[in-house]
Amino acid sequence: MLYLCLGYQENEKLQSMSDDDRAALVDECKAYDRMLWENGYCLKGNALPPAAGAVTLRFEDGKVCVNEGPYAQTKEQLGGILLLEARDLNHAIQLMSQLPAMRRGGALEIRPVVANTEEGR
Amino acid sequence: MKYLLLIYMGENAMSESERDQCYKDSTQLCHELSTKGQFVGANPLQPVATATSVRIREGRRMVTDGPFAETREQLGGYFLIDAPDLDEAIAVASRIPAAKKGTVEIRPVLEIPGIPRNEPAHAG
Repeated sequence: MLYLCLGYQENEKLQSMSDDDRAALVDECKAYDRMLWENGYCLKGNALPPAAGAVTLRFEDGKVCVNEGPYAQTKEQLGGILLLEARDLNHAIQLMSQLPAMRRGGALEIRPVVANTEEGR
Repeated sequence: MKYLLLIYMGENAMSESERDQCYKDSTQLCHELSTKGQFVGANPLQPVATATSVRIREGRRMVTDGPFAETREQLGGYFLIDAPDLDEAIAVASRIPAAKKGTVEIRPVLEIPGIPRNEPAHAG
């Protein structure tokens, strides 16, 4: 099964880390990513810069409004996505629970992808 | 530069036949973007009722049913594109069939060197 995993975090928490702590966390994240990749679990993944750089397009009655900022103002903001191939939901939960990036807090949303589409196989 | 386009819409905004047509039109857009070298990925998601959220607090795992945030519209899918700038990303976002019924959040993607998953997939 294919799952889209969305990681939400407080940007201030990451910014308040010391450079050494952040470098160590990045190294751990890369090592875990490599494990996911080498086992064929991770198909695609991307980190996102702070949500302040987001732009949102709203469509109403055929008109488009362009606004600065993310879709929803939440305390934690989307900081990365990962397309995961796992046996089932429990397996996906198990793999994502060990993500080093989530150890400092935040939430990770797991969504099954619709099959038989462009990437959904 | 890569951009993530997140599509939010009401889950009942489309009938089944509209949804089928939306998948067809979206696939067509994927192929168009692909011929221009702008397509990186796209996927529709199953209904938000199938979402699971995981939180780690003081080393302990908490698993809950449901999405990260309850919103009026729900995340229904995404496109990942390669575009020269934000204006082009906005132009592509405006063409996403599902967008006409909802909202698209555009996020530039952070390029972190040394992450294996961002390199082309190996065969097999």
